[in-house]
Amino acid sequence: MIQTHAPITDIEESGPFVRLVLSAPEIVPHLAPGHFVLADLGDYTRTPLFPAGLEVGPKANLFEVLVLPDHPAATLQLESTIDLIGPLGQGFEVPPTARHLLLVADTAHLPTLLPLTRPRDQVFSGEPGLSIALLLSAVTITGLYPVQLLPPALEVHIATTDGSAGHHGSGLEFFPDLARWADCICVADDPATYLALANVVRDVRIGPPPRLAQALVVPPMACGVGACQGCAVETAHGFKLACIDGPVFDLMELR
Amino acid sequence: MSENIDAAIELAPNHKTGLTLANPVMPAAGCFGLGTEYARLVKTEALGAVVVGPVTAGPRRGASPPRIAPIPGGVLLHTGLANPGIGAAIRRYARAWSRSPVPVIVHVAATSPDETASCCHRLASVEAVAGIELGLPDTIDGSVEASGRGLANALNDAIAIIQAAHAAARQPLTVRLPLVSARSLCEAAVQAGASALTIAAPPRGTVWLSGSIEPGNVLPRPMWRESRGRFITGRLYGPSVLPLALRSIRQVAELVSVPLIGCGGIYSAADAQAFLHAGATAVQVSAAVWRDPSCLARIACGLSPTDTLG
Repeated sequence: MIQTHAPITDIEESGPFVRLVLSAPEIVPHLAPGHFVLADLGDYTRTPLFPAGLEVGPKANLFEVLVLPDHPAATLQLESTIDLIGPLGQGFEVPPTARHLLLVADTAHLPTLLPLTRPRDQVFSGEPGLSIALLLSAVTITGLYPVQLLPPALEVHIATTDGSAGHHGSGLEFFPDLARWADCICVADDPATYLALANVVRDVRIGPPPRLAQALVVPPMACGVGACQGCAVETAHGFKLACIDGPVFDLMELR
Repeated sequence: MSENIDAAIELAPNHKTGLTLANPVMPAAGCFGLGTEYARLVKTEALGAVVVGPVTAGPRRGASPPRIAPIPGGVLLHTGLANPGIGAAIRRYARAWSRSPVPVIVHVAATSPDETASCCHRLASVEAVAGIELGLPDTIDGSVEASGRGLANALNDAIAIIQAAHAAARQPLTVRLPLVSARSLCEAAVQAGASALTIAAPPRGTVWLSGSIEPGNVLPRPMWRESRGRFITGRLYGPSVLPLALRSIRQVAELVSVPLIGCGGIYSAADAQAFLHAGATAVQVSAAVWRDPSCLARIACGLSPTDTLG
């Protein structure tokens, strides 16, 4: 973990997001899916940024973030620098033995899972041969992440509340079948859905092993290092801190 | 801080061990963790001391989330004093404290005289602890805001806690007073055994956390079962606290002669200098550490030896 200034090397629109590419050679080699950095964007608390894309390898120095247009980082200018602290947190753990990876997200939280959609040997050290399915939900088609921007090998299931794209209704209706198929589930969605998702996993999987289903929880944070005790998340093991114990938690242990 | 070679200050001139700091800058309790959290981000050797904690006699789970509410001009935080308890804190962190290049001051969040004395007694045997800072319970602050019998009771409660801590502590005892009642409590705190006073604990406030996210809304959405929103009461941090704390420390400086430690809304060396000019011997930096951990060393470097004369 270090504090550094990262220049912005590229900015462009990417679907509903603004895509920023940051150069942070001291941080990037240690970033993994679900890890984050805290950015000083001028407010009195730092803002967590999650890598949506990682340049991997020993000389990696770039990572990209995708933010919605109303995010404070969306107004940053090319070649300006951001004061970052990172890498922070405990990320998603996809075991090397996993063969069926299920990703569950709404559009707003999808960028956090995008590094997991890359070929395994570019993100993980495990064996290749991983099938990945994405359950993506949105209110309507205009808020949907463009599927053409996703890797072609990804199996994508779409649900929109108004039926304007994909399945008409909740993504939760797809979830039981996909949860049976998966041997690792990574969720980055509205935390209000987590209880329902956990109940489905309990229904379709007898005695789900630890970390079968992992979920991202990002409460407001102040320090990022566990000093302020502010980012508490209630779990089966008591309050945990999102900045050091998470932000990825065992879905079944969230309360 | 080469300029500050001559800037050593003494926070406990009348105590047998004293509490000498190489310079007047330290992080505030509640902002720096228990000792190792900022090890990779802060040049501790550039500071005058570190203040770790709070700790209580027993472990405390802390407040239910959400605990943080970003507000315009700062942040509101309510942790419920989450900590592992004095015993676990000593077991886990005493070694780290012993390696600290600067004095370690442990902040004890007082609850009752007995529990406070128990904490100070446990810390008495920890060589690495150079000082104890006592935080008074919020109930005292609330009572002092009253008058008559409420004020008398608050004073008696505060005196009982400080006396108990003073009797049990080997190290110098500093007492952090509530912002609102610092003037009312300062003389009693010194008479009860405080070697120095920290002015002041962050003020408390209440915000309404909306249950929905609107574009531009600065209040975060509570994430758990709070769809209709709720109030959260906690401590306020931010630059706007500085004028309040400055006023308070100037009032206290007229009433007592012990060293004063200014705390509240410090984000720059100029802010720290304002406290020193107001009568503080040292300063504590609070929420600015979260935003920029490097600010501690920068503030320490930005103070000249002349500033530390108070």
